[in-house]
Amino acid sequence: MGYRDVAKIGIGGPVGSGKTALVRRLVPELVDEGYEVGVIANDIMTQEDADVFRESFGDLLPADLVEGVETGACPHTGIREDPSMNLAAIDEFTERHPDLDVVIVESGGDNLAATFNPELADYFLFVISVAEGEDIPRKRGPGVTQADLLVVNKTDLAPYVDADLEVIESDAADVRGDDPFVFTNCKDGTGVDEVLEHVDREVLFA
Amino acid sequence: MTIDSDSFLTALRLSDSFLPVGGYTASYGLEQYVNEGRIGDGDDLRALLAGYLRRVVGPCETVALANAHDASSSDDLDQLLEVDARLHAVTMPSEFRESSTKAGAKLCELLAGTEEDLASVDVRTGLRQKFATRIDAGETPGHYPVVFGVVAQSRGLPRLEACLSHAYSFVTGLLGAAQRLGRFGHTEIQRVLGDLESVVVEICDRHVDDDATAMASFAPLAEIMGMRHERAGRRLFMS
Ligand SMILES: Nc1nc2c(ncn2[C@@H]2O[C@H](COP(=O)(O)OP(=O)(O)OP(=O)(O)O)[C@@H](O)[C@H]2O)c(=O)[nH]1
Ligand SMILES: [Mg+2]
Repeated sequence: MGYRDVAKIGIGGPVGSGKTALVRRLVPELVDEGYEVGVIANDIMTQEDADVFRESFGDLLPADLVEGVETGACPHTGIREDPSMNLAAIDEFTERHPDLDVVIVESGGDNLAATFNPELADYFLFVISVAEGEDIPRKRGPGVTQADLLVVNKTDLAPYVDADLEVIESDAADVRGDDPFVFTNCKDGTGVDEVLEHVDREVLFA
Repeated sequence: MTIDSDSFLTALRLSDSFLPVGGYTASYGLEQYVNEGRIGDGDDLRALLAGYLRRVVGPCETVALANAHDASSSDDLDQLLEVDARLHAVTMPSEFRESSTKAGAKLCELLAGTEEDLASVDVRTGLRQKFATRIDAGETPGHYPVVFGVVAQSRGLPRLEACLSHAYSFVTGLLGAAQRLGRFGHTEIQRVLGDLESVVVEICDRHVDDDATAMASFAPLAEIMGMRHERAGRRLFMS
């Protein structure tokens, strides 16, 4: 058993866009579907992040399936050029839990250019927030264009930041071509089902 | 000294930050020095790294690497395991051991996956494979300098040049970490690197022929920093 034997989902996106909020919504659903799930957080103060995760998941996940992995101040190196330490952490998960089905790797908050190494993530979600500006999709950052699924989060905040969801939608459709994107509000859970459908279809039943 | 082109390329490859073995996640306590405000400028950095070279990299890692290289040439697994165990014992902070063994395992794994073509040694049945199996089984820690020594020897890189490559990449790794942690100009960093070259040469010359039993470190402050790092409030690095 090793990292090659589990499905790996990478979640990237700018600082504060809602990556952790999405992970916290997804994990209970996946566990409910009967999967054994592990979570890795790459961030500053990763151990603190991991502790927050551990607490928020309570009995859903064993504490040793939640891990923080430091990335030497290079969040994109950790998921792109040299993912070896993340893979080592996944190897440790599979050693301890041979029945593990899926691991979610949350990248540290990064810029719009960050993408996941395909050896680290079988499926790559990029989370942006409407509050970062309605022009984010049309900047065509590699994260936005190359992700398997683009998640546009915090739709509830659109009115407060003068972001027009219709503009975002048409820009996203434009830059994504045939590739999917989903609007979410991770605060109340709207749209999370749709994210889950993609994950189920593209990763877990694949 | 002359080495052939293949060995020279091996030296470059093994000391290149492009080698994906997670070196960029290790600071070997440097982050803690920065956290505690002990590193202000390039002079502090130069002094610190010279100390690491003379007290840790030279008398521990270089000795381990050189003896692993020897063990590899004489196909002596017991000697190799002995060297690995000793390096483990003299590396005090647990995070230093962790950074080193993780990188060691990754180097093993990486080459196992990409070296089927290596004609000079039978990598599948050879010493390296046996060592890798012991590492996998958790029977030996598999420290990076030890794996490095075996890999270098099996690819024909001579002992001294292997030690120089390793010490050099240790320095560039920590300088890169310093640059991401603090405020150092790229030219200042290169100046420090240039100044440390003579120390790299000095410590490799001094320790390349040491017996494995001579392995020892004396770097109490660095070790304390390494241990305090385990409980640091801000952590960007694994060690
Ligand atoms: N209003 C609103 N707030 C949200 C939503 N999703 C997340 N948040 C809030 O936005 C803040 C940042 O969310 P996180 O999930 O921590 O963002 P992140 O992408 O993980 O951040 P980093 O890991 O620091 O890059 C938190 O205060 C969340 O509660 C949303 O859909 N709507
Ligand atoms: Mg987060």
